[in-house]
Amino acid sequence: MTCKKKLGRNQKDTNADMINLVDNVNRDDDLKYNRRAFLKTAVGTSVALGVATIPFSVKAMLGVEKDYERVEIAKLTDLPEGDSVVFNYPTEKDPAILVHTVNGDLKAYNSACTHLMCPVFYEKEQDVLLCPCHAGYFDVNSGHPTAGPPQRELPLIEIEVDNGIVYAVGRQYRHG
Amino acid sequence: MGKKTCWAIIIATIVINVVMLQWTVEAFLGRDYEILLTYNVISLVSAGIALFAYLQWRKVEYKKQ
Ligand code: FES
Repeated sequence: MTCKKKLGRNQKDTNADMINLVDNVNRDDDLKYNRRAFLKTAVGTSVALGVATIPFSVKAMLGVEKDYERVEIAKLTDLPEGDSVVFNYPTEKDPAILVHTVNGDLKAYNSACTHLMCPVFYEKEQDVLLCPCHAGYFDVNSGHPTAGPPQRELPLIEIEVDNGIVYAVGRQYRHG
Repeated sequence: MGKKTCWAIIIATIVINVVMLQWTVEAFLGRDYEILLTYNVISLVSAGIALFAYLQWRKVEYKKQ
């Protein structure tokens, strides 16, 4: 030990090998959170993500579209041009909107925005369906998105007019 | 197959599976059921590859010198 700078083996702050190992207060963590553990977690994550796609396929295979009922929506006299009315179709959990456009057409769609499900409403000045959440615009004549975040069209509700009453009779989820 | 390759494969499968899960959800909501199945298969295959790469890595990593 001729070098002055080098501390003796058992002195404080020595750099000598295999000394002061107990100073590593994190040694439990070092055993738990190391490269090997990281890789194992990564593999677990990858497999879990892969498996997480299965329920969607299963649900898709089970969920067969049932027959639609004929449900009264509104009287035509209560729905002047430029007005709209909300209803639920085909089930109580599916909000929908019936629009009497300024051009005199009757259009109905499920009103949950295809972006993040906010309800869309009819904007008669611009003759569009507008989602207020993130400014998503849908063409009122086709239900297809024209601007903003939505990528898919709104499901179309098939309607029938009988004796001045508008009925919902079916639904096309993807259309046009 | 070396350890580095295994690492790369496993990280790549995570990336693939994250994207596939996102697309699967999207396809499910849009009722594109055929395409959903495709994503599902890709995702499972990639999970299988991750598992295989892991076993390979384990063999090399824990080999007795
Ligand atoms: S929820 Fe409709 S634009 Fe985001």
